[in-house]
Amino acid sequence: MAKEYALRMGDGKRVHLTKEQIYEDVMAGSEDAADLADVPVLDSNDVDEIVEILMIPGRMVGVESGREVPVTHDIGTLRIDGDQGNSGVGIPSSRLIGMMMHERAFGADSMELGHIDYSFKPVKPVIAQEMQSMEVVQQNMIVPVVYGAMPNMGLYYRPDGPFDNPGDLMKAFKIKEAQQATEDAADHLTRDMVWIMQKMMKSGSDGVNFDTCGAAGDGDLYGTLRAVEALRKEFPEMYIETGMAGEMVLGLHGEIAYDGQVLAGLWPHQQAKLMAKAGSNIYGPAINTNTAQTSAWNLGRAVTFVKAAVEESPIPIHVNMGMGVGGIPMFETPTIDAVSHASKAMVEVAGVDGI
Amino acid sequence: MSENEIIEKARQAVLEYDIEMAEEAAEEAIEEGLDPVEVINEGFTKGMTEVGDLFESKKLFLPHVVAAANAMTAGVDILTPELEKSGASLGEGKGKVVICSIEGDIHSIGKDIVALMLKIAGYDVINLGRDIPCVDIVGEAKNHKPMGVATSALMTSTMVNQITVEELMKEAGLKDSTITMVGGAPVTQKWADQIGADLYSENASECVERLNAMEPKS
Repeated sequence: MAKEYALRMGDGKRVHLTKEQIYEDVMAGSEDAADLADVPVLDSNDVDEIVEILMIPGRMVGVESGREVPVTHDIGTLRIDGDQGNSGVGIPSSRLIGMMMHERAFGADSMELGHIDYSFKPVKPVIAQEMQSMEVVQQNMIVPVVYGAMPNMGLYYRPDGPFDNPGDLMKAFKIKEAQQATEDAADHLTRDMVWIMQKMMKSGSDGVNFDTCGAAGDGDLYGTLRAVEALRKEFPEMYIETGMAGEMVLGLHGEIAYDGQVLAGLWPHQQAKLMAKAGSNIYGPAINTNTAQTSAWNLGRAVTFVKAAVEESPIPIHVNMGMGVGGIPMFETPTIDAVSHASKAMVEVAGVDGI
Repeated sequence: MSENEIIEKARQAVLEYDIEMAEEAAEEAIEEGLDPVEVINEGFTKGMTEVGDLFESKKLFLPHVVAAANAMTAGVDILTPELEKSGASLGEGKGKVVICSIEGDIHSIGKDIVALMLKIAGYDVINLGRDIPCVDIVGEAKNHKPMGVATSALMTSTMVNQITVEELMKEAGLKDSTITMVGGAPVTQKWADQIGADLYSENASECVERLNAMEPKS
């Protein structure tokens, strides 16, 4: 009987596969990505390397010496204190203590200050508190600290915001009205994010992390790209990281364009160039995990997307590696075997600049 | 204009999201005495199927699908009285489907796409909305007696409510007469098998295909 290796399904369940089955799944995942995004399929050396990584029996693996990359942690400020049934550990502590633990105990290379709501809009009424927190954090931290939040344009639609929900308008076949609502919300989103970051930069922030761009579709990304452009103009030296919500830009508007480029349907290698054009320093692709497929299939697919982005991106790529993205199972607290094997493949095969 | 040209115009109207063109094609079909069933199936529906395929391959997006459905509806609305006059029907024998996002889950885009595609495929869709309590889902199933009850969950923390729906359907005596359908990002065929759901689908077109292939339970 052929030897079997313990891997995961995309929902976190254990699955045991032979080397041949792992190889077949990595190839199939790669072909799926190549077909969708019109990028090259992984070559046999890359596939062999991923297969070898997945067969390493250790629960936790690391990259080879000399191939280390910077690692940061979005919303890590809240991960120690937070306990919402997710990966928070519920130890009473301040955001500052959370950040210092990440810097001094966990080896994070950069950090972000984030508010509990973790969206830009709710920061507006508490901006003074956030500015003060940033000042205190900067006085205590050594690694670069940026301000981080999600554009989360959904908060600008009713019942949370002033504009009609495009989803409801589309259900009523009001396409033009839905597109107009998206454009109006994007204008407000840009305005708010720029205003908040002007305040945070005055308080000593090293920059901004726009996390989960495009979560509310192409309009969400449009509003963010315009904010990046405005901030780059005003603060030429600030760090701007733009990370995605998913592998492809969802077309909830369908026709909205930035710099002449229609945003709906863009894949990571195309997103990277646009992020750079707008003024980002770092781009973070987020490749979705398919829960019905194995980690071999998901990782082969994710590495294919990200490798193509690395090759075409004019700026460094810090890939999102966490629950449900980057070949990691969609599970509240992803297992360390899945996280570390996938991360090693992203660094050594896809060639990412950071995680 | 020949029969083929009119049918092609109907198909093209859907592909170009052109309501006026769809209405024109339908009116020309009536003037020429064409079979409305054929114009709908070979023209409008064919165009809609192509739009659905492009949507599944991520070349088109939700607004395009809705705009195409809008054009199709405009054409079909004009043909419907003719259809009724001739006593014909689209002949698919399709039934009601109750659909919603499960209790605790506010995500509705995927569920709405499935609802739209089922409607286009000829099902009578009762879209309950999002975050619908499990007892209400079963209550609606009692009222409407649909052929299928479909629930969508985007989160692992809400997909467990699909178990409750299965249990309540059994308790209400509806499980033997209703196809239970599950979907959503964390939902898998294994999950469907584990909880006893009758139909799992990964996406909207697969949902239509699989439901079309199933016999109603009663």
